Amino acid sequence: MEQKIENNRISIIRRIFGVSEFGLLVSLVIIFTFFSISSKYFFTVKNISNILGQISLPLIAAVGFSILLISGEVDISIGSLQAVVALPLLIIMNATGSFLLGVLAALLLGATIGIINGLLVTKLKINSLITTLGMYYTLRGTVYLITKKVAIADDSGSEIFFLIGNGKLYHFLPYSAILMFVILLFFIYIMKNTTYGRRIYAVGGNAEVARVMGINVEKIKFSAFILCSTLASMSAILLASRLGSANHLAGQGFEFQVVAAVILGGVSLSGGIGTLLGAFVGVFIIGIIQNGLGMMNVYTMWQLIITGSIIIMAVAIDELKKRHE
Amino acid sequence: MGDDVLLQIEGISKEFPGVKALDDVDLTIRKGMVHALVGENGAGKSTLIKILAGVYNRDAGEIIFEKRPVIIHSPADSLGLGIKVVFQELALIPHMTVAENVFLESFPLKKNKVIDWETMSKKTAEILLSIGLSINPKDKVYKLTVSQQQMVEIARALSHEAKLIVMDEPTSALTPKEIKFLFDVLRKLKTLDIGILYVTHKLEEVFELCDRVTVLRDGKLISSNNINETNTDEVVKDMVGRSIKTLFPRTHTGKGNVVLRVENLSTEKKLKDVTLTVHAGEVIGIFGLLGAGRTELAKAIFGLDAITSGKILIDGHELKVGSTSHSTKMGLGLLTEDRKEEGLVLQMSVAQNITLPSIREFSSFGVIRRKLEARHANEFVQKLRIKTPSLRQKVMFLSGGNQQKVLLARWLMKKLKVIILDEPTRGIDVGAKAEIHRLIDELAKAGLAVIVMTSEMPELLGVSDHIVVMSNGRVTGGFEKNSATQESILAAAIA
Repeated sequence: MEQKIENNRISIIRRIFGVSEFGLLVSLVIIFTFFSISSKYFFTVKNISNILGQISLPLIAAVGFSILLISGEVDISIGSLQAVVALPLLIIMNATGSFLLGVLAALLLGATIGIINGLLVTKLKINSLITTLGMYYTLRGTVYLITKKVAIADDSGSEIFFLIGNGKLYHFLPYSAILMFVILLFFIYIMKNTTYGRRIYAVGGNAEVARVMGINVEKIKFSAFILCSTLASMSAILLASRLGSANHLAGQGFEFQVVAAVILGGVSLSGGIGTLLGAFVGVFIIGIIQNGLGMMNVYTMWQLIITGSIIIMAVAIDELKKRHE
Repeated sequence: MGDDVLLQIEGISKEFPGVKALDDVDLTIRKGMVHALVGENGAGKSTLIKILAGVYNRDAGEIIFEKRPVIIHSPADSLGLGIKVVFQELALIPHMTVAENVFLESFPLKKNKVIDWETMSKKTAEILLSIGLSINPKDKVYKLTVSQQQMVEIARALSHEAKLIVMDEPTSALTPKEIKFLFDVLRKLKTLDIGILYVTHKLEEVFELCDRVTVLRDGKLISSNNINETNTDEVVKDMVGRSIKTLFPRTHTGKGNVVLRVENLSTEKKLKDVTLTVHAGEVIGIFGLLGAGRTELAKAIFGLDAITSGKILIDGHELKVGSTSHSTKMGLGLLTEDRKEEGLVLQMSVAQNITLPSIREFSSFGVIRRKLEARHANEFVQKLRIKTPSLRQKVMFLSGGNQQKVLLARWLMKKLKVIILDEPTRGIDVGAKAEIHRLIDELAKAGLAVIVMTSEMPELLGVSDHIVVMSNGRVTGGFEKNSATQESILAAAIA
């Protein structure tokens, strides 16, 4: 009886807000309010615009990364991938002057890396953490080898290339944020309303069951690897635009920034659980914390310590809540 | 009399949501005796020994060990008293040595608190020798046979100076020769005044080895007798205890064309030359004791396990070997024995679990029509009387019986030709069992070819039109419903 009432209550909240990430959204509001009170520079048009620009990079990658996590696999090579796909982007743009060709080359390389990761995991059955850890070192080494640790600057003269990372609509909404919202909404729809999305959840939730249901588990996981790498490449293009170069240090630590954010957003490391909306809120919360602490002139080391503590606390609370249920 | 009582259990009860697993059970075990605990699946044997092992806590009742009332809250409590349970799933660490496993809970230490490897090896060798086993204490456990591993567990019990050793279905994975060795060892333990509780469903073992036999049924104590005061027939009667034939009335009989044909199927590990024919509208019951190869057959037919020879035909068309997606396309469905590991996606909702294999039918261009999906899911929730607060409830919160209905609903919706049900009522309470049986009847009525793999005799005799018995991966008997008797079926299963 008690359980039934509980269920009704949840469903009322869900009906009102339409989401199960209610708790996360509340924390987001609390943190937002806190910084707005603490710093007069935080809740300004300029800073909000900045935050949107800042979070668009990790978020675009987080979409693909979350889908891969939900399918039950992981890819920690996305940081190194960001550095490596910027190479063909800049090299081809500088040589041809064409933004489009550069982007195509970057996405193609990104997708290829996803294919390699996917094949190693689904065909050779190597653990995905190990596979992509290997890829993480290999790609970073490749970047050092090609750049000789000197950044390749953009001298293509392409205006679009500059604008996608730095331009803003009406001096407020960054173009990168627009791209981020389009990608986010598109994949929220895919995950929620298509057979593909349902299969991702089924495969990550219980691969054995999925197999018994006649789902081709390997194919689904393989596709998720490609999706993850391709979306990470898109965020790499934005990063290159912001830096104005292909930098051998680009994307260092990016993979863990994304992992932290999506875990905070309720995506499970063990697969089958989580939503892209949750991942979005997770990225948003971490983005705001970092930005807000910066606004309050908190030292970087303290920023790191505080961010880390918040992540551990959030996951711990979640775990306690689950046990209580 | 009375002096040699080792363990006395009085009025013990244990309830799980929806099931009374143990209901006011008494049991007395004496020193130096082998006490058999028998009963069908779900009779409460496992629950009882898990309470003794400290895995479960009892709801009510008293445990008196060596004349003192004791409380067992954890496995450590149980071991501390001198109770050692050797479960079917052996609790060994494969990559450690025999000696390390024997002394796992309390390594012998030197004065400076460092592990005394020499003493450990020496003591292990002594214990192994005392039960007549010649293996090197320094061997890694994973290299040993199942029988030898079992002996390592017994050795561990002896290293603790256990007073009561509980053996849970110890012979299910052993060869006849190994069984004989095990019995010799257990008889040796008797002479050391150790009490043994021997859990089994193999009656011939009971009469060969044991001194006393206690029968449980549906969580209740049915009888407890000295072995020379009873016989196989009486024990079987106590185990079954009801007139079987009237329990699950089949409304439908009569069969159509051959739908599934399995020809000379063999697998590397288990199956040998299995041939099987199933007609439309027919329920074939496949019976076998543990390790007979039922689950392996189900998985091989469905394409989950690789086969080494033979073929499978549905409506005369050969199945692609090893492709579950082809199997489902051809109209074959499998309800696996292990609901949680291989059946349900626990985090998904009731509706999502039901529609999982047929989701394509509710979608156009890959987009799910969620209202249509909900309507169909709801129809089956109603039809199968699945008790759930809503379609969106996560399936993990449902009871075992309702989870099983969700799985059945899944395949009913898919419009199959053949369905294989592997232990469809395992771990389900009696009321839900009857409903599952009603559904099996309906499946047959709808023209499906149904295969039910079961180790429960009443279920087998109740639901099947035709009975196939397996033993050691082979088909060892076939009976029409009316000519089958429990005795003849068991005889074939033991063969």
